[in-house]
Amino acid sequence: MTVTTLAKPDYDVLNVLALKKMAGAPAIAAVVDLSAEDVSARLDALAAGGFAVVAGGAALPTDSAEPALAATASEIYAPVRTDADLLGLVEQFEKTNAQLLTTMSAWQQVDVGGRKVANDHTDAEYDEKIISRLERLVGRLDGLIDALARHDPRFATYATRFGAALEGIDGGDHDLVSSPTGDSIHTVWFEFHEDLLRTLGRERAE
Amino acid sequence: MADVLAEGYNVFDTKKSPSGTVKYLASPADVIGLIQSGKLGEHILLVRGGTTTFLAPALSMGAIGVITMSGAPESHLGILSREFQTPCVMTAHLTGSDSRYVVGSTDESHFEEIARELDGKKVRLDCTDDEVGRVVAL
Repeated sequence: MTVTTLAKPDYDVLNVLALKKMAGAPAIAAVVDLSAEDVSARLDALAAGGFAVVAGGAALPTDSAEPALAATASEIYAPVRTDADLLGLVEQFEKTNAQLLTTMSAWQQVDVGGRKVANDHTDAEYDEKIISRLERLVGRLDGLIDALARHDPRFATYATRFGAALEGIDGGDHDLVSSPTGDSIHTVWFEFHEDLLRTLGRERAE
Repeated sequence: MADVLAEGYNVFDTKKSPSGTVKYLASPADVIGLIQSGKLGEHILLVRGGTTTFLAPALSMGAIGVITMSGAPESHLGILSREFQTPCVMTAHLTGSDSRYVVGSTDESHFEEIARELDGKKVRLDCTDDEVGRVVAL
């Protein structure tokens, strides 16, 4: 069976849709270098091609999306996959990623006498400690994001999004730590991780 | 004592005890189909892994409970389920079987057995314990 490869702008749109799992054109346009109208037209074409479905005003990727993205990524990101410096940074990322997941869980739950209970966010000192840990972990991605952006400038968007989330958190909007509905640190991190794995043609470790 | 069909990690303690018919979701298409059917709220969702990232739309659309066959409470899906306050039992194993999930060396038959045994059953999730989440037969 031959798998269709996508034109780069279509890859960018379908990739973001696959990362977000469900999204409308404006949300996709916010992170790709295309207008909402252009994204909307491309989503319609992707839907006609069987790569997406539109339900309740938002698009979702179909089962055909992943193979097409993988096939396209292996062509356009072949140079990334042989960039030794970048791959070294990816090794470090795996460690940082494990720390991020632990830190996110520590934001959501606190240990009280060996039992994990929901963080009610009344201990400002505890929360600040977690936030500064998050800032440090996000800072460790700088080198990798820069290295990726040298291959494809779209990766620089992640630095912008992390920066905006951290700025919002500093301004008191703590939903930007882990909220799944906003552009929180967890949301941006998750999308970055998935994007990285697809770019490298790797599978997620269990 | 109620009949406990399966046990796993409880992602967070909650008194919410959702019940419904277990529905095994194998692919993004299954999730889309379920959302479009309008019956999301009638099912406890069973997925293979904590790395099953296609479940996110179901959580945001109001899934009532989740069972996974692999993955840790610290995983992406665990973090999401706490955010959405969707009770979640992770790396569930059948109480009537000796088969257990082992990272990196789990036979396909392990997952198939769980899917076969739980899919279509009417169950309730008990997530009141600090450590163990239970899938109880109704």
